[in-house]
Amino acid sequence: MKCQFCERTCDLTNGRSFCGMYMEENGRVLERFPDQWCTYNPSRIESVPFYHAYPGSRSLIIGTAGCNFRCRYCSNGFIACRDPADLQEVMYTIPADRLVAMAKKMGCHNIVFNVNEPAVSLPSLERVSHYARKEDIPMGCLTNGYTTESATRMMMEIFSFVHIGLKGFSNAFYREFVGIPDMTPILRNIRMFAQTCHVEIASPVIEDVNDHELFDIAQFIHDIRPDIPWHVFRLLPEHDMKESLYPNIDRMDQALETSRKLLPYIYFHNFVGSRWVNTQCPNCGHTVIKRFSLGCSGDRLDEFLAPDNTCPECGTPIPILGTRVAWNEKQSVSWEAIS
Amino acid sequence: MSLAVIDAREWQNRFDLETGQPRKSDAPVAEMAARVLSRHPYPGDVDEQANQWVTDTALDLISHYDPDLVCLSYVQQFFSDRHFNHSETERERLFAAAMAEADRFVELSGFTPVIVGTGNMIPLAGDMDLSGLDGLAVSSNWSARYCGIHHPSPRDMEFLNSLDTLERIVPRQEWIDLFQAAQPDLEILQDPRLMPDFLAVAREGQAFKTMGTTLRKPVHIPANNFQVPVVSPFGPVTDLREIKPLIRAHLSTHKIALILVEGVGESFFPESRYMVQNGVDWFCYEPGDAFYLTLSTGRHQPFAYPAGFRSFDKDADAIKFPFSGYMDAVPGHTLGLNFPGKSIAVGNRSMFMHMAFGVDISIECFARNLFNQGCMAVVHRDDK
Ligand code: SF4
Repeated sequence: MKCQFCERTCDLTNGRSFCGMYMEENGRVLERFPDQWCTYNPSRIESVPFYHAYPGSRSLIIGTAGCNFRCRYCSNGFIACRDPADLQEVMYTIPADRLVAMAKKMGCHNIVFNVNEPAVSLPSLERVSHYARKEDIPMGCLTNGYTTESATRMMMEIFSFVHIGLKGFSNAFYREFVGIPDMTPILRNIRMFAQTCHVEIASPVIEDVNDHELFDIAQFIHDIRPDIPWHVFRLLPEHDMKESLYPNIDRMDQALETSRKLLPYIYFHNFVGSRWVNTQCPNCGHTVIKRFSLGCSGDRLDEFLAPDNTCPECGTPIPILGTRVAWNEKQSVSWEAIS
Repeated sequence: MSLAVIDAREWQNRFDLETGQPRKSDAPVAEMAARVLSRHPYPGDVDEQANQWVTDTALDLISHYDPDLVCLSYVQQFFSDRHFNHSETERERLFAAAMAEADRFVELSGFTPVIVGTGNMIPLAGDMDLSGLDGLAVSSNWSARYCGIHHPSPRDMEFLNSLDTLERIVPRQEWIDLFQAAQPDLEILQDPRLMPDFLAVAREGQAFKTMGTTLRKPVHIPANNFQVPVVSPFGPVTDLREIKPLIRAHLSTHKIALILVEGVGESFFPESRYMVQNGVDWFCYEPGDAFYLTLSTGRHQPFAYPAGFRSFDKDADAIKFPFSGYMDAVPGHTLGLNFPGKSIAVGNRSMFMHMAFGVDISIECFARNLFNQGCMAVVHRDDK
């Protein structure tokens, strides 16, 4: 029997599964480790990073284990690239209703799946979304976008905001650095997500490896919708690429110059003190959102200067999902009040 | 106004330390610190060269600034032992290498050393998953022994009391009273939301699994180091808090280097070491913020993160000192603060040295959870 969650479509017969997260039982695909989470932690939504969704809000960051990719530079390889069975002793068992209650207990405004790939844990996430919807807590995720059409539709139901990795723009790159033969499904899924979800796109950049593909990525995003925020990440040498050079920031910035003519919301970060994390009004150039970057998982909102999501100088609408939310806006509620 | 210079390899930026806003400064001291930074890219927390980076950077800074007081921390062996399963021989080599690196600094600099170890590491024997509490359990990446318990239900208390891996559960006031008896002018956090109702204390070898603990499961954790080794040529010390006044008393006649070696216990120290008190009664400091601050200020700091505070509640929008971890004010009473001579610090324990020691110039790695973002120099003073 074949798994239909991602485009690997593993034949699960005899316990085979690339990500190690699904199995076949009685003719059905089942999760091997349902409701098992590797983390639950409040964090700023900008640290995910979502820059154009609920600015300033407090997200409950969750993740599981395993992945359908094997990126040679994976910074979470110690969770994503290991056999999930070996990691079960470090996981937390938290049923969906309790996870949502926990988000409320900690005053989180939304729940964001980060760390690894949500496609490997979709049934658990679907259960969480069931309770989250009841509590009016939106859900978002980071995904590599390599899901089947049916799984993508499932994700579009679960998540209202999605950050999709578009790691290069050639099959050669994806083959050599990610381990999949064809990137076409990712492009298809980005188009699908963009129909109903808030979408941001992230591209890790490795000097002399995929920096020459940056303009193609920008062109692709432009053709879908030019106002999609694009995060270009300076990649740190991690995992199997520890020996690589650190990408040069000035050279990367210059490489983005032509793309900036196509896309008004390009961000360049994943290094501390980046100058390229603010949002400028595409019409008049006024800075409408100021952010601060402490590098990986450390971005935060500094000043939100676009009341009603419009530029205060010229009134141009700034595409933002939801409105600005203050970090401590809602008081945390007690567990008793929820259950 | 303190200046932060961030170096992400071949790229530097300058910021106001307090606001995080970009700031220009061409003070000669800032220029000098920036050049030292660019000559010494940080190799990474677990890289074999990380301790050598501390020595080399410090020597470079000394040759240009000529300080009287140097504060150093060597931490590579702690990170490596905490997260990776080395053989016993390899572990011994790592700790010995850290001590040898400190010796290399002393030999090349000519400074008189006061060397402080934070004590032994032991294998993780097990952990307590407190994610199922009705209330909230908060520990941190770097703490194994302590966990804050907020708003526990009767069911939670029953569960906690049933854990034989837990050494004790201490009500907030009892914890405060213990330290106030030892130090009447103890600084207690003003925001009551941050302090837990109870401090859960693990038995030696045990750790907590809660919100805020690391995704990387530790292999080794600090032992209950109620005493830690100190080498001091200035005579005996019996308590961690005595080191600051001891150093201050001799700075008029000596150039002194206070050197911390994390995760290192007495067996790696010379026989002339002193074993000094590290905490009060059942409370011993783990390597980390509270230890550094107690050492630097000469005052107990049991409430310094990571004792289990609900820090996410504190995390307001307009946060001050964005480069400085959980701190929102420059700590008082630190070793370098108000010292009329010149002082520097260099360390590879995250973005911490500049707040812990209050020296004129500090250089430290800008790494979090072992992700290497580069280095930072902080110039607190450029007028000496
Ligand atoms: S989700 Fe996992 S099991 Fe399913 S096809 Fe993808 S890699 Fe294979």
